[in-house]
Amino acid sequence: MSERVTTPYEGRGHTTWDPDAEIEAPLHLHDTPVPAEWIDYNGHMSESCYLLAFGDSADAFFRYVGIDEAYRAAGHSLYTSETHLHHRQEAGEGEPLRLTLQVLDHDRRRLHLFHEMRHRDTGVLLASAEQLLVHVDIAAGRSADMADDLHERIAAIHRAHAALPTPDMVGRPMGIRRQRQQ
Amino acid sequence: MTQPVTQPMTQPMSEPGALDGAAAPFTAYRQKVRPEWLDYNGHLHDAGYAVVLSAAHELVLESLGLSADYRASHGASMFTVETHVRYLAECSAGQTLTASTVLVDADRKRLRLYSELYADHRLAATGESLYVHVDTSAGRSAPLPDDRRARVDAMLHAHAGLPRPPHLGLGVGARL
Repeated sequence: MSERVTTPYEGRGHTTWDPDAEIEAPLHLHDTPVPAEWIDYNGHMSESCYLLAFGDSADAFFRYVGIDEAYRAAGHSLYTSETHLHHRQEAGEGEPLRLTLQVLDHDRRRLHLFHEMRHRDTGVLLASAEQLLVHVDIAAGRSADMADDLHERIAAIHRAHAALPTPDMVGRPMGIRRQRQQ
Repeated sequence: MTQPVTQPMTQPMSEPGALDGAAAPFTAYRQKVRPEWLDYNGHLHDAGYAVVLSAAHELVLESLGLSADYRASHGASMFTVETHVRYLAECSAGQTLTASTVLVDADRKRLRLYSELYADHRLAATGESLYVHVDTSAGRSAPLPDDRRARVDAMLHAHAGLPRPPHLGLGVGARL
């Protein structure tokens, strides 16, 4: 393993914002095969590695809207406040993953995202992640409004995603739902 | 992940190791923050919290006889269906992570675990996971064998009196 967790987009090419381009709905900014080091004792992708893949897709999204090393160095960042993962199917070593991302909601400080991970070739849904993120002033250690340009980009993506259906697991609590007879 | 953004909504259930006896959460997990779990901010990466919660929960499954050895001997295993992490504070390299876990619910095939994760005794995250027992050769869920079910019921009984925080079982973005 490397010294720390790196993302595929640190210092490398990524999709950048183009104010004239049509916005994909949902956004598709990240693909990856399942690396060998993500495999657990069951012979499948380990549960916590799903979050690494979703995190890399989120990082591609951050860079797309302009949150990169320079943005963070200037004092602001997006922090995750909640993540709710749904694991649907196993993934084996080398299987191609296709990640998509939908902006469900936002305000000046908060961002509600929904990710899907599918098998790139079969389209089978492998996992989803619902996330709540907060824009923060790093030094002050508290939430802070986004600057206008960032907020407008996120608002434009939110408008482009308004036509997408809201996935049925969004906002759903976790629990053991029992049938009446059980 | 900084404190003013998302305050813990309740008092912690207990500091790990603060309670003894049957009605105590499961607190075997203890691990220093490893450098390879850090992100570009020098803090525990989002996925690192999931690694830690997963490892803490694996110890609970091990104590129930439902971990790697069980898979090898029984051809069945606990699979994670859902995980909900609430990030409450940053964790830095060298801090000691501990977890306090409650078996919140169970039925013939499923377990629901809730953990509070501490970094040097400060509440850093909560994690809730739903597991299903899977017959790995058939590739489908299956009831737990009786001896494992007895262990699960014993833990469920022992944990029944522990407090349930109000955010338990709520969806993302729930306001309390």
